[in-house]
Amino acid sequence: MFSILPDTLSFRLTLLYAIAFGIFLLTAFGLALLLVRTSMNNEINDDLTEDIIQYRNLIRNEGLEQGLGEIKRDVKPGSVDEFIKLFDTHGKNIYSSDPGAWKGLEINKDIISKIAAAPSAPDIYFETRKIPAREFETRIAYSMIGPDTIIQIGNSLEQTAAMLALLLSLFLISFLVVIPAAFIFGWFITRRAVSGIEKVSDAATAIKNGKLDSCVDIAGQSREIQNLVDTFNSMAHRIRELITEMREMIDNIAHDLRTPLGRIRMISEMTLSTVDNDACKSAAANTLEQCDKLLQYINATLDVAEAEAGVATGQYGPVDISAVTRDACDLYETIAEEKNIRFTTVLQPDCIVSGNRQNLQRMIANILDNALKYTPVNGNVDVHLDKDGKNIRISIADTGIGIPLSEQQRVFDRFFRCDQSRAEEGCGLGLSFSRAVARSHHGDILLTSTAGNGSEFIISIPSRL
Amino acid sequence: MKLLLIEDDRIIADFVIKGLKEAGYAIEHASDGETGLARVISGNFDLAIIDIMLPRLDGLTVISKIRERKINLPIIILSARRSVDERISGLQSGSDDYLTKPFSFSELLARVEALLRRASQVVEASTLSIKDLEIDLLARSVTRSGKKIDLQPREFALLEYLIRNKGRVVSKTMIMERVWDYNFDPGTNVVEARISKLRDKIDKGSSDPLIHTIRGLGYVIK
Repeated sequence: MFSILPDTLSFRLTLLYAIAFGIFLLTAFGLALLLVRTSMNNEINDDLTEDIIQYRNLIRNEGLEQGLGEIKRDVKPGSVDEFIKLFDTHGKNIYSSDPGAWKGLEINKDIISKIAAAPSAPDIYFETRKIPAREFETRIAYSMIGPDTIIQIGNSLEQTAAMLALLLSLFLISFLVVIPAAFIFGWFITRRAVSGIEKVSDAATAIKNGKLDSCVDIAGQSREIQNLVDTFNSMAHRIRELITEMREMIDNIAHDLRTPLGRIRMISEMTLSTVDNDACKSAAANTLEQCDKLLQYINATLDVAEAEAGVATGQYGPVDISAVTRDACDLYETIAEEKNIRFTTVLQPDCIVSGNRQNLQRMIANILDNALKYTPVNGNVDVHLDKDGKNIRISIADTGIGIPLSEQQRVFDRFFRCDQSRAEEGCGLGLSFSRAVARSHHGDILLTSTAGNGSEFIISIPSRL
Repeated sequence: MKLLLIEDDRIIADFVIKGLKEAGYAIEHASDGETGLARVISGNFDLAIIDIMLPRLDGLTVISKIRERKINLPIIILSARRSVDERISGLQSGSDDYLTKPFSFSELLARVEALLRRASQVVEASTLSIKDLEIDLLARSVTRSGKKIDLQPREFALLEYLIRNKGRVVSKTMIMERVWDYNFDPGTNVVEARISKLRDKIDKGSSDPLIHTIRGLGYVIK
């Protein structure tokens, strides 16, 4: 399973990839534009320089009158692409190719004064200027071409502008194509990169949920991922080994302790049903009772160990938790009656969870048992079961002795018994077992209590979809 | 009725044999899997009690070999494991039962009789009775000396279970399992409370009480 949520690695990497790609593209195009613009400017400068030199030679060889005739032929009056203007160092007009189309054209006084300062030098000065009457910018050159005659020659930059506009639209189009492509490509690349991690994560989740034989089976991944996969698999293998060892150990303890106990029990039972002596009968009955207590204790210890390790015992399947709770309440009804406890149950019917029926029965029975045990005569015990969104919520509230704040954290610990509970029978394993069961069903048990006022245990377990 | 016990624990075996003989059964004993399997094949038994952990050939293999030979023999499986083993539930046929060690003899006896009863396919009576107490399984009604007694459904189930095992002690564990479908002891003695309530309804004011508590063992109706 993967997702495109903003906090996933895939999404972030893809986004970074696309942003980096966009920046590269932008830089490349910026450089291209600069290059094109510069080279086109240079070309126009060369053209203008060539024209100026040609006209200067013309005027020098043939005189101003003759030369002007040539120039008039060369640059069509009324042309919108180019213009020529001749004037003296005071700015007095000698000739202008078209005063209409280039209306608003001014003379750069700084350049004129520089030219006038060194009349013999054939320097050419350039400027780019926007002329109000023209749409595009104009590249303008100034130079001395004859005695007291300055030429101002200009070329429209329309072509450069058109070229740049073309480049810009090209850039926009490629941007629109490349960025989504970068997203898709980046997504593809990162998906490939993180798919291995996701497989490891899936396997870890499966192990967490009790599927201990899960491992990651992938090949052809990059070395980092492969290392992770290998380490994970050997870790999973080790966990499997430990769990197997633990199971065997539990079985061995169960067997080794229970075999002699079973024999004692059998001997006592037979004695009890065969002898006629009252003292013997009583001794046998006592032995039998203590055997059962010891057995119960051993079993409870092993059950908690197993439940906490998440080792699934017995079968899992859909369990009608409403019915289980109803049966448990039914079971304890008589106890409540005997203690004259007001026992109210409000159970939403047909709530189904996925789990182990036997363990769920015990979980609820344990908490109910505590509630009734620690609630004094004439108290209240209320059981509520309802569906709260995705969770089934079972609340068991009593008006019993309550649990002091300092002990609330520890009541779920193994073998922990509150000071006030020592008078009652029990081994301090009921709540730890119950919580381990709730957790192995992806739920939990919460406790709110005030000493002297009672306790409320709230079990929540995800509903079966 | 001829029974076979395959069990390597000498002490357990001795007591089981003694108890079953007293209950009127003919019983043979094998102390390892191989001998046990050979006995099953050669002998004509009505029921076998087989332990899972056996020397030479383990109980599961013995059972699967019995099934392979299509010998239709009701089997009670004894196991030291605390929960029903998946391997066993796979092997179990409809005519089998399962008992975790340590078990009480009275429970074993009850299961033996239940399995034999099922195997003999006796038509179930619709009424059960003991002395002047009679219960109608179809109408779910109870009368004592002709006087109707009102019982809650669980109380009825409890009484029915006691009467089906009349004269025999049933343990707290058995009652929890059969009447409430609980495979564990939920601490507070809920069974005792139920029994005393049932006793109030059945035996109240009677000079001849039917329900008796046998300390250390359980309850009996007689």
